[in-house]
Amino acid sequence: MSVATREPFPIPRGLAIALAAAGPVAAGAILAVRARDASPMLAAPVIVFGVVAATGPALYIASAAVGHAPPLAAVVRAFGVALGAFGVALAGLILPAAFIAVSSVSAGTTIAASSGAIAIAGYLGLRRLATELRPPGGVSDGVAALASSAVFLVWAGATVAIAGRLWWDLAVEVVS
Amino acid sequence: MIAALDGAPRPALGMIDLLLRDREAMLARIRKGSDVAAIMRTMIATIAVCMAIVGAALGSYRGGAQIGYAAIKLPIVLLGTAALSAPALSAIGAALGRPSRLSADLALVMAALAFGALLLAACTPLIMVGRALELDYHRMILATVAMFSIAGLAALRMVWRAVALEAAPGWRTAVAGLCVVFALVGGQLSWALRPYLVRPRTPEAPFLRDVEGSLFDAVTGAFRSARGIYWRDEAPLRER
Repeated sequence: MSVATREPFPIPRGLAIALAAAGPVAAGAILAVRARDASPMLAAPVIVFGVVAATGPALYIASAAVGHAPPLAAVVRAFGVALGAFGVALAGLILPAAFIAVSSVSAGTTIAASSGAIAIAGYLGLRRLATELRPPGGVSDGVAALASSAVFLVWAGATVAIAGRLWWDLAVEVVS
Repeated sequence: MIAALDGAPRPALGMIDLLLRDREAMLARIRKGSDVAAIMRTMIATIAVCMAIVGAALGSYRGGAQIGYAAIKLPIVLLGTAALSAPALSAIGAALGRPSRLSADLALVMAALAFGALLLAACTPLIMVGRALELDYHRMILATVAMFSIAGLAALRMVWRAVALEAAPGWRTAVAGLCVVFALVGGQLSWALRPYLVRPRTPEAPFLRDVEGSLFDAVTGAFRSARGIYWRDEAPLRER
């Protein structure tokens, strides 16, 4: 876990978390405009926060089981920073995605634009989570470092697969 | 140094001169953040004027109203793309821990694009040579793409150098993200506002074409057509 005391973002962390909630609402709104159905605006943040809430404890448990888990408070803080990173990134990507979706008559472009914005923001959030969970000086034990990285990669893969499937089903159902 | 008649440099022209001669000093001014608003104003005006000149030159290939149409549309494409894309640099960087400032990043992107626009304006005589030599449409398109590529790479290099100097975490990803977003938005906006370069024999040049699918749809459609796969009912028949 990083022990850096400086603020993790150039904006207040509370605002970053708020953006993490507002960003998926906006991404859902891109689908909603195309489908003339408001349900994606509610479903998108539910998918983001629901999947993180459902899979987050597994990362802590598995990391602890392989003998390399930061304290629970540090893991919770890391998840907060990662969600904030997701929100900040999505705030910068949502406008271009909305423009590309609105300026095209193709439903496929709408799905690709909104999904692309969410996917890039999700990748950046996961990358920030990995950075925040890493000890400041790195892990001295090579085996522990390998096991820790493997646990994170498997967890990230599973989380992305679950969230991606739910998002894809939502997007295809409402737009098509 | 470009100077007014009394010998004192005009601030805006001096800034453009600085951009052309000493980009390191320009980047230092943006990093310092003291006169970001003035830099932004000058760069936006530079982009608007230069791209209008380039647009008019491209429009002159067909002539008539197309000169005015392209001169209006090209500045809108570049400024609109910059406005939609530049926040991505700040947002992606901030997500990865880069101490981003939206105003400074906007000024940086605008300065880089102004540099690219100035290079394109410098290429205008080449466009006019193509027109004078009656270069065929496809060669003219290729020449235009080459000019825009050179200017785009020069602008990208300026952004890359500026952000690299910060050595902040995630700077490479932030610049890469900006490039991807800029390419996608720029491609779509320029597609939506086309045409710019029109064949001379075209009887009537439209200001805008009808809204169709995205640039991505057009590219995938072109690939399908190239393989002989047509989805439209009115797809052209093979000539015998």
